[in-house]
Amino acid sequence: MNTTSIFIQTLIGGIGIGSLYALIALGYSMVYRSMGLVNFAHGSIYMVGTYLGIIWYTGLVLGLHVSYPVAFIIGVLLNGLLGVLLERIFRPLAKLDLMFMLLGTIGLGFVLDNLAVIIFGAEGFAVRSPLPNAPINIAGILVLPQMLLLICVSALLMVGLQVFLSTTKTGKAMRASAMDHDIASAMGIPVNRMNALTLAIGSGLAAAAGILAAPIVYVNPAMGAAVGLKGFAAAILGGLGSIPGAIAGGLVFGVVEAISAGFISSSYTKGIAFFVVVIVLMLKPSGIVGETVIEKV
Amino acid sequence: MRKKTIIIRALLFGGAALILLFFPYIAQNRYQVHIINMAGIYIILSLGLNLAMGYAGQFNLAMGALWGVGAYTAGLLNTRLGLPFWINLPAAMIVAGLIGAIVGLPSLKVRSHYLAIVTIGLGEVINIILINEEKLTGGALGVSRIKMPNFFGFPINTDERFYYIILVVVILGFLVTRQILKHHIGRSFRAIRDDYQAAKAMGVNTAYYQILAFIISAAYAGAAGALFAHLNTYISPDIFEFKSTLFVMTMTMVGGMGSLAGSVVGGLTLPILQEYLRVIKDWQLVVYGISIMIVVLFVPGGVIELTRRMRNSRKIHWPWSPKPEEEKLEETNVSEN
Repeated sequence: MNTTSIFIQTLIGGIGIGSLYALIALGYSMVYRSMGLVNFAHGSIYMVGTYLGIIWYTGLVLGLHVSYPVAFIIGVLLNGLLGVLLERIFRPLAKLDLMFMLLGTIGLGFVLDNLAVIIFGAEGFAVRSPLPNAPINIAGILVLPQMLLLICVSALLMVGLQVFLSTTKTGKAMRASAMDHDIASAMGIPVNRMNALTLAIGSGLAAAAGILAAPIVYVNPAMGAAVGLKGFAAAILGGLGSIPGAIAGGLVFGVVEAISAGFISSSYTKGIAFFVVVIVLMLKPSGIVGETVIEKV
Repeated sequence: MRKKTIIIRALLFGGAALILLFFPYIAQNRYQVHIINMAGIYIILSLGLNLAMGYAGQFNLAMGALWGVGAYTAGLLNTRLGLPFWINLPAAMIVAGLIGAIVGLPSLKVRSHYLAIVTIGLGEVINIILINEEKLTGGALGVSRIKMPNFFGFPINTDERFYYIILVVVILGFLVTRQILKHHIGRSFRAIRDDYQAAKAMGVNTAYYQILAFIISAAYAGAAGALFAHLNTYISPDIFEFKSTLFVMTMTMVGGMGSLAGSVVGGLTLPILQEYLRVIKDWQLVVYGISIMIVVLFVPGGVIELTRRMRNSRKIHWPWSPKPEEEKLEETNVSEN
């Protein structure tokens, strides 16, 4: 095993976990762009989404064991529905100052987290991977099949989202309503419905990320806090509100984390990753691909 | 008529002062005193956060970590060098203040949610340092056997005795904060909060006051840390995680962001409420979350705004609500450009 292949292996691990962060960051960015809301409950929504899919796969509901892809689709759809319902709560919150938004959404996060504890119990469980557990060998580089699945499906989802937003009529309407609520509603676009759709897509992506990563990480009701914070850091790192920014931010955050874990210090991983975010924001306050906003009096 | 309000006021304040002074003798057990002691520590944290966030508009979400810096400074000075509480308290304030200045530096470059994530990130970095620098901080096990203070040979070794130290620090903290806000520093803070660009154009040295806001709030966190370390005699890094910042932020906003009385109300109610909610076990945090959302959605100004609203609608003058001319000074309008 030489250094190069170890490096590439670490890099792939970083891209894998980075895709997870990117899917979460997309939820933050899309909702921020369309509603102006910083949704700190997104980590909890990710956790709920993971449960909504995984319970069908592991037979927690009525002993049902549906196949992994079916459980995946059910989880994504159910969590999307949750997003639509949450739009009603978020609508008044989005009009408040950032501080109040922060606290209101954190309150919602508390509710979701602790309802999950009451329903599913505080202790988590490991999920069996639908693919073989043995790492596959590609030219001397060992990769977990589940990791490859995570990277490929995330990439597909991101491309699909981009295509949906730029080509379909609904996607264009969503972008229009994100750009200017008043003009969009004057043009006959139902702005609130578009916001609900945005929340549904963001929550669906979070569920997708959670269900794909479930066999790699440990599923428990507290899993949302750390990932939610990192996803937010990734969204900010890329430039909050920008879709390519969220993807870039997530991947950069994941890769920095993996490289610092592999080559610098495993116990300082999280610290180094956050420190990189701080440094990047100092150099470019609007994030990697964010537009610079000039403040006016 | 005016005489009557003065008498009512005097009676109320006198009663409150008596209860505060003799609280350890009124309390039914030591645990109640302990909860009030913790509430006192939270009031100090909340005053600091209120100064930075409510008055200067600076997101200092590293408050929990800075609290930890204060606690570790005091704890380590006591266990390693054997220094007493009376030296550790100012030392913790100075060290936390210095770290606070570093945490505040990014505020010169980034604002609002960007500043929020930067201070959260720096708080995480501080917490990770506390966990990993095992030689210095004892790692995840924390620091134990911190000695309780001694007042000229009189040992302050119970919650009842420690209560008086906390009472004095809380009152001092409250008066100092009020003085700062009346001073030109407070006016500059509010100018920066309400309109950063305009304040700059009017000649306010914004960079200086932004950093100052961070230093002062961090020094409050440091004082709270030293009190916490010497009261509990044991500290560990998990106490000072991001969730502690959230707790302090919640109590500040439930009380009323941008109002000092709000910090006192929030700092007292939340820890006590938490104790009462223990009865419903698992549902405790669900109820807690729902109540936060109700406060944010319906009374964003917190409890203090509620009393103000009631007074305005029914023309009742609550003895504790500020007089009209003071009100201007304590506006709850906390806008982030």
